Amino acid sequence: MSGSSKPIIRFEHATFGFPGVIALKEISLAVNSGEFIGVIGPNGSGKTTLCKAVLGLMAPLGGSLRIFDCSCEELRCHHRAKIGYLPQKGVVDRNFPVTVLETVMMGRYGALGLLKRASGKDRQIAVEALAHVRMDGHLDTALGHLSGGQQQRVFIARALAQQPQVLLLDEPTTGLDITTQCNVVELVQHLHEELGLTILLITHDINLIRSRVNRLVLLKTRLHAAGPPEDVLKPDILREVYGKDLVITERDRIVVEDYHHHHH
Amino acid sequence: MLDLLTYEFMQRSLFAAAMVGALCSVTGVFVVLRGLAFVGAGTSHAAFAGVAFGYLVGWPPLPLAIVFGLATVWITGWLEEKGRMKLDASIGILYTTTMALAILFIGLMKTYNAEVYGYLFGSVLSVTSEELRMIAGLSMLVIGAIVLFSKELYFIAFDQEMAEASGVPARRIFFLLLTLVAVTVVVSLKTVGAILVFAMILIPSSTAYQLTHSLSTLTWYSVMIGVSCSVGGVVLSSIWDIPSGPAIVLLATLLFLVAVLYSPKRRRHVLAGS
Repeated sequence: MSGSSKPIIRFEHATFGFPGVIALKEISLAVNSGEFIGVIGPNGSGKTTLCKAVLGLMAPLGGSLRIFDCSCEELRCHHRAKIGYLPQKGVVDRNFPVTVLETVMMGRYGALGLLKRASGKDRQIAVEALAHVRMDGHLDTALGHLSGGQQQRVFIARALAQQPQVLLLDEPTTGLDITTQCNVVELVQHLHEELGLTILLITHDINLIRSRVNRLVLLKTRLHAAGPPEDVLKPDILREVYGKDLVITERDRIVVEDYHHHHH
Repeated sequence: MLDLLTYEFMQRSLFAAAMVGALCSVTGVFVVLRGLAFVGAGTSHAAFAGVAFGYLVGWPPLPLAIVFGLATVWITGWLEEKGRMKLDASIGILYTTTMALAILFIGLMKTYNAEVYGYLFGSVLSVTSEELRMIAGLSMLVIGAIVLFSKELYFIAFDQEMAEASGVPARRIFFLLLTLVAVTVVVSLKTVGAILVFAMILIPSSTAYQLTHSLSTLTWYSVMIGVSCSVGGVVLSSIWDIPSGPAIVLLATLLFLVAVLYSPKRRRHVLAGS
């Protein structure tokens, strides 16, 4: 962890949602520069809302949220560009006519600003971003021709092309096979170490990230626990959030049965 | 055939067709990629209602067509953004409402007005010099805006949420796109008509879509297809003495079918499947 004195993102008793529907309640959390934070919690626990809040797309109903020391209203496009975002994996239209390089170049657009055309330097940044995810051999390949894991790496490269300080990943391993899941998380850890990126990784898969993160944040509308994994992953805390379906196996792996059927 | 080109009206109509072909096919790229196909249809009927209103009250029809078209796309965009309604439902309502208005306005006219029907079916061969200047000016404006904001337009067509999150003013760009669609429709009313303009927006870019995996190549293919179908359609219509609008659209449809049959994308799928 690089010891920056001022947190990049600071929630103070922040509440999010729509009038009548509270998605996150009185969250207090400071994200420091260079941290690797895993955000976990059952479905409907407000993980995606947290994501939107960090992106500055949702102002708090109460309390405060400061991103790069700006309130949500003060947040400008060039601030947004400093947060690289990997959205939840949607179904990519196989036929959408876009090449790998064109996809990653889009990461430059927000940082460039309106009316400026991408230059050779932007292209170089995009190619370097692809090299970081080991996809620089596929510049002109159609995005739709890649496997799910490769597409995920391209989208991570798109986020890196923004030259962000923070990388925000919303369930990056959903819909991938086990080997690919590990590869993606290893890649994220590598980027954290290599580029000194602050990472916020939202996931269902506690076991996949527990040994890699500096801190875990456990959400269920409220922030139930935040701290080093060993402090958060305690049976009593987890049962409080996930209910009785939670099983901790002898090898210390955490299994939440049927969590996909839970609703908020 | 060449002596046809010596007629001034023929030169005007070929020039108008080429410009409308280019304009519709460039705008069409973003309409098809962003999934706004139905918006084009809705806007053209709204614009036609504007034309009919203009003739009814004796005001210039094209500015009113722009007002009606813009009001429709902006209301549609606003409803979608507020999450009140899905785009296809709201455009469906506005589409039929504006068509009802158009029929009402025509019904209220004391006499039969052939010019109004000209805007419904288009008549590129009767384009006047003044109309040609208007088409040229507005086409330059729309294509200029698309060139200036092309990177943002591509991004929101691909993924608007991601564009917004990475610092592109995606909302404003989306409304810009809706505005450009409305202006494109109005510019094309006189040449291809309110009913067929929709085809000119959709078909060239959908044809190009069959042929490439690259966004920039798609745009160039779309323009080439749009311009050649428009010019080819006008030439065919004067040789065979058939209406120009249908000639342009049917030629474009023919090319689309050929592209679907011989699409390299399709071949790859067949290979992958075997």
